[in-house]
Amino acid sequence: MKYLMAGLLALLCGFFLADFLFRQQASEVKTPGNIPFDHALHGDSIGLDCSHCHTGVTYQAHAYLPSKTDCMDCHRLPLTENPGIEKLDSALSRAEEFPWVHKRVLPEHVVFHHGLHFAAGVQCSDCHGSTEKIQKNRYGGERFTMQSCLDCHSGKTFEGRGFKKAAIHCGACHR
Amino acid sequence: MDRREFIKACSVVALMQVLWGCRRLPDLSGGKVPEIAEFEKEVRLALSRAKGAFDLVQVPMPGPLDVHGASPVNRFGMAIDLDACDGCGKCILACMQENNIPLSSKGERDAGRFMHWIEMHGGTPAMCFHCGNAPCEKVCPTGAASHTPDGLSTMMYKRCTGSRFCGANCPVGARKFNYVDSVKEGLARKFNPEVPLRSKGVMEKCSLCLQRLQDHKHAQMATRPGVEWRGSGLKTACSEACPKNAIIFGNWLDQESPLVQEAKHRNLYVPREIANLDPSVVYMRGRR
Repeated sequence: MKYLMAGLLALLCGFFLADFLFRQQASEVKTPGNIPFDHALHGDSIGLDCSHCHTGVTYQAHAYLPSKTDCMDCHRLPLTENPGIEKLDSALSRAEEFPWVHKRVLPEHVVFHHGLHFAAGVQCSDCHGSTEKIQKNRYGGERFTMQSCLDCHSGKTFEGRGFKKAAIHCGACHR
Repeated sequence: MDRREFIKACSVVALMQVLWGCRRLPDLSGGKVPEIAEFEKEVRLALSRAKGAFDLVQVPMPGPLDVHGASPVNRFGMAIDLDACDGCGKCILACMQENNIPLSSKGERDAGRFMHWIEMHGGTPAMCFHCGNAPCEKVCPTGAASHTPDGLSTMMYKRCTGSRFCGANCPVGARKFNYVDSVKEGLARKFNPEVPLRSKGVMEKCSLCLQRLQDHKHAQMATRPGVEWRGSGLKTACSEACPKNAIIFGNWLDQESPLVQEAKHRNLYVPREIANLDPSVVYMRGRR
């Protein structure tokens, strides 16, 4: 009996060891370029709307990431007295045309249309959190699950907001 | 070897096996992706091995779906004009490219079995008829085969565990099973980035170009949220590709739809096997 228990323990330890050694690595979140970007500084402090940089978000499936040209629209001029601005300017001048590359986190059998949710009155922060949270996690720090979609679609998550109930049949979001 | 050593040795072997079983497998695909010409060739082969014709019976025009939660304004379907169709097979190729349908392995091909969602039955194309009262959905143990409120019999590939009950219960054999991992075997090509490739052990069939319907619906709901979506102007890949305009896609409940406009002057037929299952895809012939 003792040997059997020892064997089982060894097996269990083996599982843990195997899990430690061979588990699927968490997908890497790419730190965008060398440009020190702060979501809170652009959003909350100067009041830019998300759709200023994520131009697709109000009417297209994808929100999109800004190109360097989009940044330069404002950053052509020295904007503040902050000494960090020089560092930013040099980083911007060295950056490639598309400094941020979107890595798809949504599985390809799921469809999500940003513009459709925007039209229904869902705010960006309802799913992505506040700008501070976005800054801390970068994008992709969110943990979206089918349950979180379903909770909102069946009217549970934002009960006080008066959203219409959304479709919960499989074919509405899956293909 | 005494008892203690024996158990120790067994434990070590078991541990090694666990570790071996947990290793990450290398990608064996070798990156082989078939040429487009191979798909064309397979379609020609399929045309030369066409199946027997269906025994058609006349039916009235499909009306609203008789299922719980069905949409009162949308029921999508198609009508295939047997007077116009000459069986050229362009719809089969268009469907393969739209839906990333894999090639069959050589053995399957020689036996006349293909993954094509559209097949020729006596010179006329046949796909899933999207029965309103679908027998395939009733036997699915996981709910992977389900109906949308607007009349599509859909397959949720990630839910499918490959019991193949649906395939066995389909009277017209419209369902195709992935016996092999077509990506690893170098049989699949991702023509359309919008459609996922199916893995081994998953059933698939005509989706009535579900991805086109979803994209069209979402785009309209985002840009014109007040307007009711009727799917007007939309076409499936097969109906788009047909040189004779013999496949007409539309909304059975929309009087403005080209489908209703055409079908109301014609006689509608479906295969005898599914005549009482309320199919959304029909054949049309003659004028009245």
